[in-house]
Amino acid sequence: MGGQPLYLAPRLGDRLRSLLASPELLHPLTDALGSPLNVVVPDQLAANLEQFRAVYDRHHLSGQVLFAHKANRSSALLRRLAATDAGVDVASLGELQHALGAGFTPDRITATGPKNPEFLWLAARTSVTVAVDSPAELVQLAMLVRKFALPRACVLFRLAGFETSGVRVLSRRSRFGTPVKEWAGLLDAVERHSDAVEPVGAAYHLDTTSLTEKATALEGCLRVLEECRSRGLRPSTVDIGGGFGVDYLADGEQWERYTTGLTAAVLGTRPPLTWGGHGYGLRNESGTLRGSLALYPAHRPLAGPRYLDGLLGHPAASFDGRPLAALLLEHLYDLRIEPGRALLDQCGLTLAKVLEVREPENGGELLVRLAAKADDVALEEHGVLMDPVVVPRDPKRAAAGPVAVHLFGTLCLETDLITRRTVFLPHRPEPGDLLAFANTAGYCMDFHATRAQRQPVARKVAAWQEDGAWRWCLDDQYWPTTSGGAPGYDMGGAQ
Amino acid sequence: MRYDSITEAIGNTPLVRIDPAVHGLEHIDLYAKLELLNPFGSVKDRAAWNMTGLRLADAAEHGSQVVELSSGNTAKALAVLAGMHGLAFKSVTNRMRVPEIKDLLLLLGAEIEELPGQSECLDPTATDDPLTLFHRSLSEPGSAYLHTDQYFNPRNTEAHLTGTGPEIVKDLDGRAPDWFIACVGTAGSSTGVARVLREHDPAVQVVGLVAAKSDFIPGIRTIDEAHQVGLFDPGTYDSIEAVNSDEAIEGMLTLNRRCGILAGPTGGAAYFGAVRRLKAVEADTAERRSAVFIVCDRVESYVSYVRQRRPDLFGRPRRANSPADLTDAEVRTAPAIGVTQARTWIGTGAPLVVDLRSPYAFAALHIDGSVNIVDELFEELVHGGLPFSRTRPVLLACPVGEKSARYAALLTRMGHPDVRSLAGGIIAWRDAGAPLVRD
Repeated sequence: MGGQPLYLAPRLGDRLRSLLASPELLHPLTDALGSPLNVVVPDQLAANLEQFRAVYDRHHLSGQVLFAHKANRSSALLRRLAATDAGVDVASLGELQHALGAGFTPDRITATGPKNPEFLWLAARTSVTVAVDSPAELVQLAMLVRKFALPRACVLFRLAGFETSGVRVLSRRSRFGTPVKEWAGLLDAVERHSDAVEPVGAAYHLDTTSLTEKATALEGCLRVLEECRSRGLRPSTVDIGGGFGVDYLADGEQWERYTTGLTAAVLGTRPPLTWGGHGYGLRNESGTLRGSLALYPAHRPLAGPRYLDGLLGHPAASFDGRPLAALLLEHLYDLRIEPGRALLDQCGLTLAKVLEVREPENGGELLVRLAAKADDVALEEHGVLMDPVVVPRDPKRAAAGPVAVHLFGTLCLETDLITRRTVFLPHRPEPGDLLAFANTAGYCMDFHATRAQRQPVARKVAAWQEDGAWRWCLDDQYWPTTSGGAPGYDMGGAQ
Repeated sequence: MRYDSITEAIGNTPLVRIDPAVHGLEHIDLYAKLELLNPFGSVKDRAAWNMTGLRLADAAEHGSQVVELSSGNTAKALAVLAGMHGLAFKSVTNRMRVPEIKDLLLLLGAEIEELPGQSECLDPTATDDPLTLFHRSLSEPGSAYLHTDQYFNPRNTEAHLTGTGPEIVKDLDGRAPDWFIACVGTAGSSTGVARVLREHDPAVQVVGLVAAKSDFIPGIRTIDEAHQVGLFDPGTYDSIEAVNSDEAIEGMLTLNRRCGILAGPTGGAAYFGAVRRLKAVEADTAERRSAVFIVCDRVESYVSYVRQRRPDLFGRPRRANSPADLTDAEVRTAPAIGVTQARTWIGTGAPLVVDLRSPYAFAALHIDGSVNIVDELFEELVHGGLPFSRTRPVLLACPVGEKSARYAALLTRMGHPDVRSLAGGIIAWRDAGAPLVRD
């Protein structure tokens, strides 16, 4: 197998760990509903919300935690969240309809992203807050409000292109938002259309893992809101988007061993660790490593609520180094956040059945074919490298030693690899076993899944624990009343 | 010693023997090459001068800007050299994690650009990493840059091939040491010196030190990062070993406190790695041997780096009248007043209203007639005693009534008879519909 197995074991919370230790549930489920199969755990979402709330409490901040719906299409997750005090951030007409139908009242919904007229109309009609991308969209909204005699629309301006003095913090260009340099034009538009729109605050969402960039943007928002106040407006909210990240792996040392191994493999000083010697963005130019590792930092202790805590404690250079949380609080602003992936941490997994295990004649890695396409388990699409957990069909089967495998999907296509990485498993899988990909609920479940070659997309079930046992129902059948059964069941997270 | 230019003071640094009572090696003489005594403060002065030198006059003629990917010492040296020739200098980096170094560079007139962080929603098909974009911008038509390219520029290594290496041999009476230990950053100094030493004695053992992978030591790369350096050739080193930041600081403290060498953490890492390595091999040797390590730069720029990792080193005596001394019970029972009663009280004109928020927040909205003393300043004031006359009642306000309660408790303990905290703070004030003004 070529040296020590380079595992990348998933980090598992209590709920997922317990679920994976329930083969008597998982096997009949996949037998009945087909492979692949997605399992979501709504109660975990409420628990994660509490973690974010605790960070708010620590900094004495108020304001909404909104779930970025785009990260998962599940109804069960959304309905479970509707039973808490959280809000939802919707990015399409369908998502807005879904959120309203799940029980979110308009004061708990924000419409963001690119909007078509129907989306904008329904948002204005139901009085949900609209995060406007540009002055043009603001005008479009104002005209809709007047034409259809709708109530004044609450708007957040989405800003981009923040600048710093002193050290220049570079940021990737974004296709969304109004450059902060042009905010004056945006404010003029707000004032011109004040009969139709009511500004409630400023927003940004940066696609970066960098805390400094986000801190720069938050400072920029505070400056713009200060200008709003000097013009007599009364903004109340700063919306800092999401991107707080997830810590996928259980063991940081495994991640370090693996990435060092990958570097060595690209440099040719150890056998390849990938299908076809793929370098995940690294390349070898005459013995020197070039390029950059295009992988999600899968071991990331500072993620989710802890990342938010770090950001809020970050000193704001242009405000005498005062922490951002203190500034938000002192300026009497509500803080809104829109985590997607981070709120869905540990909220689900994807099961795929092993169809074939082939031993190449010349030895080497086992070739394992799954009843799933790569797009059903989109971890690789997001650059997340993480081992699946083998759930054997026969629990009594004698466990042999570790094996190295390649995981193939079921499409008739060379590139349908579940991952290009050589995966090390502690035991050899057999046909009929399940491979469980943990922590796929955030973006890796249904965001990319297709019906290519008339192959099915995964069904989705919701699972919860009741009286020490796991219960389940189809995702679409789940309502907050489903789990727990008895009236007065404490849904948690509600305030 | 008289020089016409400060650049003539670069190099010819002392080689100082470390007292055996400090390192405890019985058969090995350990020498420190004091690169921190270069005029701009580090070993990078040599490379920076050798890479620019004659090219600066030409660059000045074309109005070029000097650019480098550097997070510290190279940037510092280049900023000075560029400034001496009337040129601008820009440092591009995503590794500059020591705030004092940033400030020092800005002070020296450098421009700093921080590269963007990794994308959160990763696009694995995007191949344009920030460095590719950096190199593209350098070669754009019409751009005038002098890019020193320290990680690939052979003139970096050459500075040590002609300077540092021969100086060591000369100071050891024409002999190479048995061991040479150096941290790997650009690999320029270790590669250049190693080559010179091996020419004198092929048996010299070269130890390269890298940072432990999840750790950060300024100026040292991890083993994976070292592979990205064009000058780095694993064949240069007989062994490559990792040092973590705790060990680097431990080594630094030994040099600072016991040897009179004001080395930074990089030099500390070299000392620690050297002693660890030499202790392991000393048992095998009965003869007198020698070893040299490089002290790359000075401690002064790393105070915040050390404070973050070793707050115990900065223990200060407790000060009088500190809000930290209060008990929970004192804070809980601090005199407080609700919004409605506070408004009535203020209406009598009696209390001085002190707003503890930052001046920016105060300027935006505040209680009419209030005075702004930001909490940090207020804490300083009360260390010295009561800042108000006892006959003047005081109402303290903060965002949620938490800090104001602490200070109300503290002032009460200090003997003020009528100080109260605004319960629920300015937020409760606003929520009750009470007026807030801007001036």
